[in-house]
Amino acid sequence: MTPRSPARVVGPALTQRVTSWIPNRSAALLRGVAAGRIESAIGVTVGAVWLSTTPLFFLCAAVDLVDGGPDADALLVSGLVTAVAGLFVLRLSRFPSELPIARLFSALVCGALAALVAVTAAHFVTGAASTVDAALAEASATISGTNASTIDPETLSLGMMLFRSIGQWLAAAALIVVLVRILPHLGVGGLDADGGVATRSARRLAPRSGSTMVRLLALYSLLTFLLLIAYFLAGMSLIDSLVHSTTTISSGGFSSRSGSIGAFDSAAIEWVAIVGMVTAGTSLPLMFRALRRADLHRFARSVEFRSYIGLIIAAVVVVLAWSEEWPTMNDVRESVFSVASAISTTGYVAGDLASVSYGAEALFLVLMVVGGMSASVAGGFKVMRFMVIGRYIGRELRRSIHPTAVEKIHLGRSSIGEVALARIIGELFLSTMVLLPLVLVFTADGLNFEAAFSFAVSALSNVGFAFGLDGPHDHLGALGTIGHLAGAVLMLVGRVSITPILVSLGGIGEPTQREIRRWRRTRHEKVIR
Amino acid sequence: MAGAGLLAVAFAMIFSAVVAVVDGGGGAAGLIVSAVLTGSVGLALFLGSQVSPTADSALAFAAVAWSWVAVSLAGALPFLLTGVISWEHFDDAIFESISGFTCSGSTILSDFGSVPQGVLFYRSMTQWLGGMGLVVLAVAVLPALGIGGLDLIASEAPGPTADRLTLRVRDTARQLWLLYGAITCAVGLALFLVGMSVFDAVTHAFTTVSTGGFSPHADSIAYFDSFPIEMVLMIGMVYSGASFSIHWHALRQGIGAYTRVSEIRWYLLLIAGAFGMLVWVNHGELEWLQSLRESVFYAVSLGSNTGFGNSDFVLWMPAAHLTLLVLMLVGGMSGSTAGGMKVLRLQVIFRYSFRELMRARHPNAVIPIRLGRTTIEEQIAAKVVGFVLLYLGLIVVGGVVLSGMGVDPVTAFSGSVSALGNVGPALGEAGPTSNFLVFPRSGRVVLMMMMALGRLELFPAMLMLVASLRGLSQMRRQREVGQLR
Repeated sequence: MTPRSPARVVGPALTQRVTSWIPNRSAALLRGVAAGRIESAIGVTVGAVWLSTTPLFFLCAAVDLVDGGPDADALLVSGLVTAVAGLFVLRLSRFPSELPIARLFSALVCGALAALVAVTAAHFVTGAASTVDAALAEASATISGTNASTIDPETLSLGMMLFRSIGQWLAAAALIVVLVRILPHLGVGGLDADGGVATRSARRLAPRSGSTMVRLLALYSLLTFLLLIAYFLAGMSLIDSLVHSTTTISSGGFSSRSGSIGAFDSAAIEWVAIVGMVTAGTSLPLMFRALRRADLHRFARSVEFRSYIGLIIAAVVVVLAWSEEWPTMNDVRESVFSVASAISTTGYVAGDLASVSYGAEALFLVLMVVGGMSASVAGGFKVMRFMVIGRYIGRELRRSIHPTAVEKIHLGRSSIGEVALARIIGELFLSTMVLLPLVLVFTADGLNFEAAFSFAVSALSNVGFAFGLDGPHDHLGALGTIGHLAGAVLMLVGRVSITPILVSLGGIGEPTQREIRRWRRTRHEKVIR
Repeated sequence: MAGAGLLAVAFAMIFSAVVAVVDGGGGAAGLIVSAVLTGSVGLALFLGSQVSPTADSALAFAAVAWSWVAVSLAGALPFLLTGVISWEHFDDAIFESISGFTCSGSTILSDFGSVPQGVLFYRSMTQWLGGMGLVVLAVAVLPALGIGGLDLIASEAPGPTADRLTLRVRDTARQLWLLYGAITCAVGLALFLVGMSVFDAVTHAFTTVSTGGFSPHADSIAYFDSFPIEMVLMIGMVYSGASFSIHWHALRQGIGAYTRVSEIRWYLLLIAGAFGMLVWVNHGELEWLQSLRESVFYAVSLGSNTGFGNSDFVLWMPAAHLTLLVLMLVGGMSGSTAGGMKVLRLQVIFRYSFRELMRARHPNAVIPIRLGRTTIEEQIAAKVVGFVLLYLGLIVVGGVVLSGMGVDPVTAFSGSVSALGNVGPALGEAGPTSNFLVFPRSGRVVLMMMMALGRLELFPAMLMLVASLRGLSQMRRQREVGQLR
């Protein structure tokens, strides 16, 4: 993949060298290993994903061994198997000389599926989830950053707990890589085909997409570290701080307690979590720019950031206004917490969600759908896209008075192309079309209407908590096999977004045929030689 | 325009007063007083103004929207003057009237026994009149103005649409009303033949043809518990939920006109699909025949957005609720009296989304959006999409606001869907055998506004507000400037 951004020298030379060295070396390494016969982007992706998850397996196995937990062997074995399988696939395949968009889509989806398989294996082998479908749902929750689970986290071994939370953290990191390195290549027709609306600000952070990636990952790690210290200072144990800092900043939401953050019963911890969640929903490139120049006005200048914060504040005010008695400081904190948890799609819970007013419940669902800022690790449909859609409706209203008027849609200083608009709207409609049948599946599997609908919305937006049952996290546990599978699909769709999945589903036949034909041809040539 | 509307309403009140006198149940005096009041205001308006020969689209929007408001306000009078609804609850009277004239069928009447027959008759008649105005609006006026992409009707089945609004609308209206009246008579007669009383047959014919769904009985159609009656109603509902423009064509060119339109296939498939779904979901919950009968009735009743009920679907499985909700959302065909988003728009949305999928795979492909055999212009597709987005957005906003007033989310959101789509019953507590008193008073005001918005296809209503705010003259000036540019 070639860099596409125009060269613009930023930062001192040393950073430059470091930031370009890492992606270059890793790409070279990958190329060195992947020297097989089959030209397949899918193979390379799957192999790379499997190989890169193995350190996590080994780390958690080691931790569990030290802790004396029961899962050390299982993690070690599944890690080894994953490593071997990854190496095998990687050795077999080679970088393709050409990469049509459709296959880049498939590679992306298969990468996510590969991660899903590895994490499912870990859950199943360690016995954390008793059935394969439950393990699949758990794995999907892990890699999509959703706080939905069938397992009580307090029954997990330390190794498995770390595996799940660091898994969420890594998955979000992988999302940053995809955001920066792959989406721009999909260009107008691709995932990012909102013409870069979702990732606009990720462009041109640095001359090469590789160094942009490293910078963003560094920022991401730095934020995690700061959050870890903050949690620790607020009174968590070191392990808890580690678990929660990784799942907060990745907007994942897994917790070490069954009561989530609320179990700590500490205002300080909740405030730390609030700040962390709001940060997780903020655009990483925007933060990077603002922090690098120590220029906080950048935040104020970003239209999307203003709307994001505005939404949070408005939602908190409305929730408080709808509550029955005059709010105390506790209520304020709780509503800020829930609002931040919903809009950043983290899914932490503090306080009693079952007793919130009906209005607040509906509002939380809307916030979940809105989601965080574009180019953040949060799920949801993204604030910026909704802003674009709002402007689109306004334009159509004006057009019905002035039928011949030509109007471009502007967002801040940039204008949005028609193709991008169509892509955003198509994405919204397609997601809705996927959502409705799956709500049906949930209701058929025994959830009541409210629970099914709110859980479907929550899973699609990668949040995790929902309404209509006794507890906010009971939904996945109340479902049967079909429900687990539907939940897993929904969470995955929420993370990878619907277009690539449908495109690669439609394209399975074509590339497979081509791959087989090519493989035959190469073998045939070899025989002749 | 408002004058003519009011005159028609006054006529309906007198007619209902006659019914009340015949029935002897009281309420005649109140109906006559309100008829006189409405009639005099209507006459004054009618004689005092003339139709401007240069009615441009903005003015037409405003005229349509304001006359609807005027009619709805006047239509509330009989409920108040006959004492059916007390004066402290004047907003409920307006709710009932709006629900009638928008052909929604949501009611706030809880005690049907104490309501005079004349008023019940009047109530059904409001829906019939609303449907009458709506047929013309849906077939002739809105498509000509190109609201929300309704100009598509013209592209698929060139019907009696008005090219020059003021010139041909009158002509078109006459033909459509003839058809409308004929169907009403047919349905009424059929209902009478299968065993309804004259009063019931007429009132139900009124509300079937207008896809309104008011019934003079609290239990709606379940009161009769008769399969033949349900059968007749279903046929009536399917017919009225389909485009009157196409009916008009079919009458002229034979039955083949139906097969040429893709929307009608989608419409019937949607109802059939919903029926299959309901049967599947209700399997095992209800007795086999019972389930079949209820499923088909609800698929038709909600697929045409009429809102009659022959049982209480609130007791059904949640999965059935979802199916019903989707039916409410989509509604009938364009060019009919049914509400909802319209099947036509659903078609466009489907094509639009799948085109985006194709384009994701083949970024440089140029793919037209097709509807049956016709290709849709980008501009029109954009209008449809804009409409649907606004529609969905309003449903969400309505749902959140209603929940904020303390209604449980299922009732709130389904009420929002039902009101914007002019269906009538909702899910949750506001089911077909319940009434809309479950919503708080302020919530009913929200629902009222949503019914009016939905009936006027959102855009005219929104533009009416804009027009009223800015002043019409200023808007016209802008328009001229725009044309010069």
